[in-house]
Amino acid sequence: MKSFFLPLKNFFVSLQLTVALLILSLVLVFVATLDQVNLGIWAVQAKYFHSFFVMWHLPDTSVSLPVFPGGYVIGGLLLINLTAAHIYRFALTWRKLGIQLAHAGLILLLLGELFTGIWAKETFMRIDQGDTKHYSEAFRANELVLIDHSDPKFDEVVAIPEAVVADQKSIQHPKLPFSVTVKEYFPNSSLQMRGPGAAPSPATAGIGAQLAALPLPVTYKPDENNLPAAFVEVSSPEGSLGTWLVSPGLGMPQTFQYGGKTWEIAMRAQRQYYPFSLTLEKFSHDRYMGTDIPKNFSSRIRVRSDDGHVDREALIYMNSPLRFAGLTFYQSGFDKNDTATVLQVVHNPSWQIPYIACVMMGAGLVIQFGFSLGTFFRKRKALAAAAASMPTS
Amino acid sequence: MLPFPGVEHVLTHMLSPRRYSTLTLVASVLLAAGCRDREIVSYRAPKDPAPAAMPAAGSGMSGKLPDGHPPIGQSTNPGPVDTTQLPEGHPPIGQAAGAGGMGAMPGGDALPTAAGSALVWAAPADWQAKPAGMIRKGSYNVPGDNGAVADLSITAFPGDTGGLFANVNRWRGQIGLPPIAESALDANIERLDANGFNMVVVDATGTNNGQPTRLLGAIVPFQGQTWFFKLVGPAPVVAKQQAAFRTFLTTVKAR
Repeated sequence: MKSFFLPLKNFFVSLQLTVALLILSLVLVFVATLDQVNLGIWAVQAKYFHSFFVMWHLPDTSVSLPVFPGGYVIGGLLLINLTAAHIYRFALTWRKLGIQLAHAGLILLLLGELFTGIWAKETFMRIDQGDTKHYSEAFRANELVLIDHSDPKFDEVVAIPEAVVADQKSIQHPKLPFSVTVKEYFPNSSLQMRGPGAAPSPATAGIGAQLAALPLPVTYKPDENNLPAAFVEVSSPEGSLGTWLVSPGLGMPQTFQYGGKTWEIAMRAQRQYYPFSLTLEKFSHDRYMGTDIPKNFSSRIRVRSDDGHVDREALIYMNSPLRFAGLTFYQSGFDKNDTATVLQVVHNPSWQIPYIACVMMGAGLVIQFGFSLGTFFRKRKALAAAAASMPTS
Repeated sequence: MLPFPGVEHVLTHMLSPRRYSTLTLVASVLLAAGCRDREIVSYRAPKDPAPAAMPAAGSGMSGKLPDGHPPIGQSTNPGPVDTTQLPEGHPPIGQAAGAGGMGAMPGGDALPTAAGSALVWAAPADWQAKPAGMIRKGSYNVPGDNGAVADLSITAFPGDTGGLFANVNRWRGQIGLPPIAESALDANIERLDANGFNMVVVDATGTNNGQPTRLLGAIVPFQGQTWFFKLVGPAPVVAKQQAAFRTFLTTVKAR
């Protein structure tokens, strides 16, 4: 057993591995930076950094081959390398406390990045002045929703992520008295009015019967959004209820009746509901006097929890976010002639880790250099004492 | 040789098969994180407020669409559109002040255009006025070199016609450009204040039938209506007439 683990251990604690991994990460960052021209920031992050391997898609096939270690592999190996070296090389003595602490801080920093990659979620909340929002929306992810509006107090929502819609399969859910079949799906599309001589639409109900959805290539540009569209058939045990065109580009609600209830079908930006609400009381856009140069954006927000325990005001402005219920609300933008605010909503349970890691690394370096400084002073004192004791000529 | 034999024990222990369960746990956390994006969820949600009434032009011209309707009809071919089947309250789709095809509507069901001719303007001498048709308030052939001609159309519709964002993307679609994100709106427009109007000027170059085509347009909210001044045609012609178009915009006045 030992004969197997010894080379493994030597491999993981070696400094060569550290150097090799650092070089690999340099190459990864370099290539990923160049590839941003083609893919844009989000796709590059997913392809190079939030992945185990960088995959290369074989042309004209559906086969992808791993061609380079991704961020998770390099970061993970670095983490193992650092931890192993930490345990193996460094002596547990007071004199080495500084180095131990600095390395532990670095390990924590790497772990923090991993946790952020796994858990952190960024959404946005757009609120018109005077309006109240219970939910935030995803920047890019969409969902197909079927909403039962029959209860006057609340809506029953079944939300199907776009990734599932993309499979173009039949979907059943215990909360739905019918099945939903995705007949066609386009990750990006252009919606147009159907010309008089056009072929019949796959949609048989709703506005979709009058529209054509033209597939477009997926865009990766940071300032462009894909507009997905799908033709979705709703089937009850008695037969088809119709096929609808759904897309976040269609704002008008499309509804149908089934089982004495009114259902709405829509595709929209993925929502995250919260047990509290935010009301925009006032948005302010201050400019430097006599110019259009923005000086400050701020949103006066009223926060109310559903259980009635919290009802307070908060002012959100640049670099002063609202932290509430494990979420951070940053002032991100504005809209509608300064009468609507856009808040970025960040859920990152590990947000404190980089701060703790930096404090640990800072303290470690201070202790380490403090010891060296102490040694230096002691040596100088000893030298001075020796020089003083030497006979002068 | 290790400085502490105990450390080697710790390391060996860490890598022992029993500890693989820890690795399995980490792997399943990662996998679970990956599968989170595919989970179908059901929940109770508070009701959305009823869609707001469409704001009057002039007050709501800064980009956000009314809850009524986002951009559709970014057609590269703004051909005749039968809007008679649209549901009640549905904003007009593809009501392009189009270079072609919008001079007259099929059948008798004209798109509701803004009543009257509330704005006046002075066109440069070399622009040739042509019949305006049922939709247009004004229509000109704008000449370039070697007989090339661009089309200038002036149209007006009640309300904000879906909002600035939708209209900018509609225009982009007419010259084969992809829609922009709402966040990129401000970078793609220019605000021009002239004669008390808050005009929004759009300048975009795309293609039409494979030819480089440029669209220079102004959206002008006026008394609850939205006026569109659109110059579209071969890119060299529009480039040549760009300065004239801007001067032309400054001549737009209320009657």
